[in-house]
Amino acid sequence: MKKAFTLSVIGLAMMAVVLTGCSNTPSEEELKQLDDLKAQVASLEKEIAAKSAEKDALLKAIGEQDAQLALCLKDKAAVQAKLGAK
Amino acid sequence: MTNVFRLSVIALLLGALLVPAFAQQEMTKEEWQKQITELTAKVTDLKAKFDAVNKDLADLKKQAEDKAAALKQCQDELSGLLGENEPLLQSQLDKIDGRLNELSRLSNQDLYARKAELDEVQAWIDEAKKNPASAMGKHAARLDEQQAKLDALKKALQAYVDSGQAMQTYTVGTWAKDRDCLWNIAKKPKIYDNPFLWPKIWQNNRDQIKNPDVIKQGQKLKIPPKADLTKEEKSAVRKYWNNKQAAAAPAQ
Repeated sequence: MKKAFTLSVIGLAMMAVVLTGCSNTPSEEELKQLDDLKAQVASLEKEIAAKSAEKDALLKAIGEQDAQLALCLKDKAAVQAKLGAK
Repeated sequence: MTNVFRLSVIALLLGALLVPAFAQQEMTKEEWQKQITELTAKVTDLKAKFDAVNKDLADLKKQAEDKAAALKQCQDELSGLLGENEPLLQSQLDKIDGRLNELSRLSNQDLYARKAELDEVQAWIDEAKKNPASAMGKHAARLDEQQAKLDALKKALQAYVDSGQAMQTYTVGTWAKDRDCLWNIAKKPKIYDNPFLWPKIWQNNRDQIKNPDVIKQGQKLKIPPKADLTKEEKSAVRKYWNNKQAAAAPAQ
């Protein structure tokens, strides 16, 4: 009985040593790596949002330019016709 | 005592086993690895998106530059076609707007007194329409608006004339200088342009004209709107001629 107890204690002790010694948590360096990746994601998302806003503004400006150009071409054609009719 | 010692040893060993197990609940290495994999994939994806947006932006900037150049070219060509016509039209349109605004504020009576100005404004509009720049959308729209405003004024004036309220006045001049008699006044283009309408002036000024052959210098005659003679006016003129004949008969 005493021997069995001793063996159990030794077994538990070995398990405790193995579990605490070979820890399953990431190291400080690995955690920093994770944080860096998170920061990179946030930074990229912010940059993409800014570029997308710039793209939307540019699309709007191009739309206005298209309208102005269409109007100018229409005016030009009308003026040419009027001058031709004179 | 031995049992107490044994239990204590077991408790300590179990504690040593459990503490690291609880500590691992923050993040396990597997979870870390999973997050690292996910985030790495996300970064790759975001970088691709960033590049794509950047490329789109560069394309759009190029498009915007091309369009700006095309617009400038069109505007330059238009300016070349128009020369000084556009600024000239601009000032014509401003002048028309100014006069129309002034006329719009007048009472019907004042507008009637200045009715000739409506024709003047119409002439300005007709002249402006000949300007090549009037073919441009914005100027054409402005001219249409001015024409509509002028038409409304003409309509209001016509309604006022039709209502019989319009009555201009004429101040009699001298016979020597102006040859003013009712016949000649009615003949004036600005009055009726028709001498046979003289009884209209007479009948509308009975208070100051007893004998239509006699009008005095300085008399302010009311001039009703041009229209055919009324039954009463015709009757008055017949009576006038009869009296004249009767007065002339004894002499014969």
